[in-house]
Amino acid sequence: MSSSEDPYALMEKWLKAKEFLVVGKGVRRADALEKAMGQARFVEDFYMPGHMLFIKQVLSTEPHARILGIDASKALEVPSVEGVFTAKDIPGENQVGYALPDQPLIAEGKVRFAGELVALVAAKDFDKAIEAAEKVKIMYDPLPYVLDPLEAMERKDILVHGEVGSNIAFRTKVRKGDIEEGFSKSDVIVENEYRTHHQDHVYLETEGALALPELGDRLTVISAGQYPHLVRAIVARVVGLPESNIKVIIPYMGGGFGGKDDEGPLVAAKAALIAKLTGKPSFLMYTRDESMLMHPKREATIIKYKSGASRDGKLQAIEVKIIHDTGAYSNRGPFILWRATVHASGPYRVPHAKVDGYCIYTNKVYQGSYRGFGNPSVQFAAEAQMDSLARKLGIDPVELRLKNLLRPGDLTITGQQLNESVGVADAVAKLAKVSEWSSKIKAYSSSNGRYRRGIGIGVAWHGISTSRGVPDWSNALVKIEKDGSVSVHTGIVEMGQGSPVSSHRQIASEILGAPLDVVTVDFGTTDAPDTGATHASRGTSIGAIGVYVAAAKLRERLNKLASELLGTSPDEIEIKDGKAYLRSNPEKYISWKELIKEAYSRGVEMSATGYFFLPKGKFNDEAGQGYAYPAFSYVAMVAEVEVDTYTGKVRVLRIWPALAAGRIINPTQVEGQVEGAAVQGMGYVLMEQFVFDNKGRILNPNLTDYVVPTALDAPEIMRPVYVEDIFKYGPFGAKGVGEMALIPAPAAIANAVSNALGVQVTKLPLTPENVYFLIKEKMGKKA
Amino acid sequence: MKIPIHFILNGEEVSVEVEPNELLLNLLREKLGLTGPKYVCGIGECGACTVLLDGEPVLSCLTLAVDVDGHEVTTIEGLAKDNELTAVQKAFIEEAAVQCGYCTPGFIIMIDKLLKENPNPTEEEIREYIRGNLCRCTGYVNIVKAALKAAEELRKNTSLIKIKK
Ligand code: FES
Ligand code: FES
Repeated sequence: MSSSEDPYALMEKWLKAKEFLVVGKGVRRADALEKAMGQARFVEDFYMPGHMLFIKQVLSTEPHARILGIDASKALEVPSVEGVFTAKDIPGENQVGYALPDQPLIAEGKVRFAGELVALVAAKDFDKAIEAAEKVKIMYDPLPYVLDPLEAMERKDILVHGEVGSNIAFRTKVRKGDIEEGFSKSDVIVENEYRTHHQDHVYLETEGALALPELGDRLTVISAGQYPHLVRAIVARVVGLPESNIKVIIPYMGGGFGGKDDEGPLVAAKAALIAKLTGKPSFLMYTRDESMLMHPKREATIIKYKSGASRDGKLQAIEVKIIHDTGAYSNRGPFILWRATVHASGPYRVPHAKVDGYCIYTNKVYQGSYRGFGNPSVQFAAEAQMDSLARKLGIDPVELRLKNLLRPGDLTITGQQLNESVGVADAVAKLAKVSEWSSKIKAYSSSNGRYRRGIGIGVAWHGISTSRGVPDWSNALVKIEKDGSVSVHTGIVEMGQGSPVSSHRQIASEILGAPLDVVTVDFGTTDAPDTGATHASRGTSIGAIGVYVAAAKLRERLNKLASELLGTSPDEIEIKDGKAYLRSNPEKYISWKELIKEAYSRGVEMSATGYFFLPKGKFNDEAGQGYAYPAFSYVAMVAEVEVDTYTGKVRVLRIWPALAAGRIINPTQVEGQVEGAAVQGMGYVLMEQFVFDNKGRILNPNLTDYVVPTALDAPEIMRPVYVEDIFKYGPFGAKGVGEMALIPAPAAIANAVSNALGVQVTKLPLTPENVYFLIKEKMGKKA
Repeated sequence: MKIPIHFILNGEEVSVEVEPNELLLNLLREKLGLTGPKYVCGIGECGACTVLLDGEPVLSCLTLAVDVDGHEVTTIEGLAKDNELTAVQKAFIEEAAVQCGYCTPGFIIMIDKLLKENPNPTEEEIREYIRGNLCRCTGYVNIVKAALKAAEELRKNTSLIKIKK
């Protein structure tokens, strides 16, 4: 590598760019046409019935039981059935836990929740697979089970995982200063217990995979997933093949929202297992009820929160206990809990903090990744605390926040100093203006009558990249082909967010100076270098660094070549509008196509990878202090609601979002993310809810009884306020957006309802029933 | 028992044998290779499988294949004529109403139909008309914008034609 291709130097150079060709513009996404024509292909669209095996899953009906035996004889009599497969057929390892090795792909010995996979049936005929699955008989020896996380924490006689010796799967902590001292300095103290519930992703496309066996023990898997290289690693482990024998392609996906980061590798492993065992192409597509019964949910939490502030409105101390009901398996629970723990303060300066997190096993469906990753629940609690403090102190809620918000140079509760890219206070101040906060809060606080208006704010932060200094990197392969077209190869997937089909193209086009329409992105493939996952809002931030660096390397080569051809120095070269020319004399130029031709004929390599390993600090788990993230994105939201006090129905009328998420590469796509996340967050707060029976079984695994927002429920969403607080390692300073607007939504909406009713909401969801009881309770108190 | 049926699909005649319990959605996707209509819920809650039957929107996940015998079916693939997109398709692209795209075919078919019935709908009327279609990505903002824009475009074009006459 020549020194001119050092990634740090290249990043520094491009971070200084002030004028842009395509970055910052609402460039149209490349996939819109094929999607609008119904031509885009998703996993299910590759299925060819009659030529492939169809797989059907047999799920546990018991929450906790020993498996005494499995009788497949009747199932095997069904015509066209290829086989019934169980844990003992797995040639590799039956272990798929991401954080802890506690989870089998197929239940082995015992089941731990109703809905767990016990057997797979494969048949040539779709109907026959279903018929056979119904004929598989599982003999269970039921065991006592535990559903409530508080109870599970205490019990030693009922253990979801006997070998752990307790139902506490994982613990986390943060310690800063001395909370005794902090509370003694506090003039007001508020203490509340918060509860939040599960949420289903309801991506319109359920989980699916098609595994195609090839000669020489090779496999190609077309699958759902948010990280092709992780899908491949899990498949390899389960089928017992080297990773290099497996190719994973993640085509267009009908939504992911985190859920397919967890379930994608599992659906792929199931299809691959059958393909490996039978030697035949094998296809598995979850039905909606399977999807809802099986895939991990947003964490259900209990959060005990005590905060103290001095009379002048300065936060002095917090003490927080976070309990996550992780269900039958820890899955990514420890990571989710970790994120919740370090974000527990909200984006505020807090001198004294004690935070403890507990990830608890119960015999229910397990928790997993979901847009916000442990953060929406804890920001809801933190922001309800801020409102409670504001009320007690007699300070306006926005003003109280502005007194405490993090600013450059401040320390987080883990003791990490944030020197740059901290635009949150600016964003909140601007947001208060555009939403006409001051006049509304005054007007609504005294509202009366049947329909009451309320306004609320939620402010949140979200660390970019993996937590706690866990290694994270980016990469991509960028090639300029002989005809001048540009292809970008990345592991980042396209699940609707648009990073490969919009921002990646913009970044490559901007840096190379190549016209946007010659840039094509090949996404979601293990043929690309390992790019890391499309999660944690990293698609356009960390994920695209690879594109940024690879393109910058090629640009250096092009500038050098063009300068030689035009007889000048590389710094004098400008490339745009299909030519490379002299800055001082645009008449002296060579066309883009000619330039590339010259590169090929003169031995200048026209492909480059853009590996970048993110520099990070260390976190000390023992001390509960240290480095948490390379940067934080910030988001704030004001919500205006109307509550029908007769029925308890809440309508969100309007939402004002604000982002301090670094450079906005594509405002159109960012708005799309913000709008979608806000409505998904609103659904979570007002209507979405699972109902469990006394065996922990989900009673409403369908879209009739699990209700998500329609166009009639969705509020008006105003244009976001942007504060571009540049992050030095992000492409052109971008931080990350995908999850952001969901994170403050519970806080903003719940605080608005509190404002309308003169109560403090501490429990979600705010269904008409729950709100009705809140109103009754309040009236009871008055009477 | 297989039942032979004949119908017009996207303007072309089709003859095919189906099972008595075969769903239109499966027939289209699996036998006829039209994968634009999507399976999402299978129970009539999402609208992603919407197609036109004799010009009326129906949920293909709840329609038996035998019932289209002798009728005319149009899917998302059949909307664009001679590679010319419909005003609604164009507006979806221009207004960024497409994200993951799984819901898109259903919405486009519905809004196309709405604008035939009501060339000048209000935002409320649009929201009311598409209330049976779910989208989990967009928050519906840009879908509604696209419908308004397509309506405006269509009105412009028809008035142009009228003036020419
Ligand atoms: S799949 Fe037909 S309505 Fe949902
Ligand atoms: S665009 Fe993804 S569901 Fe509508």
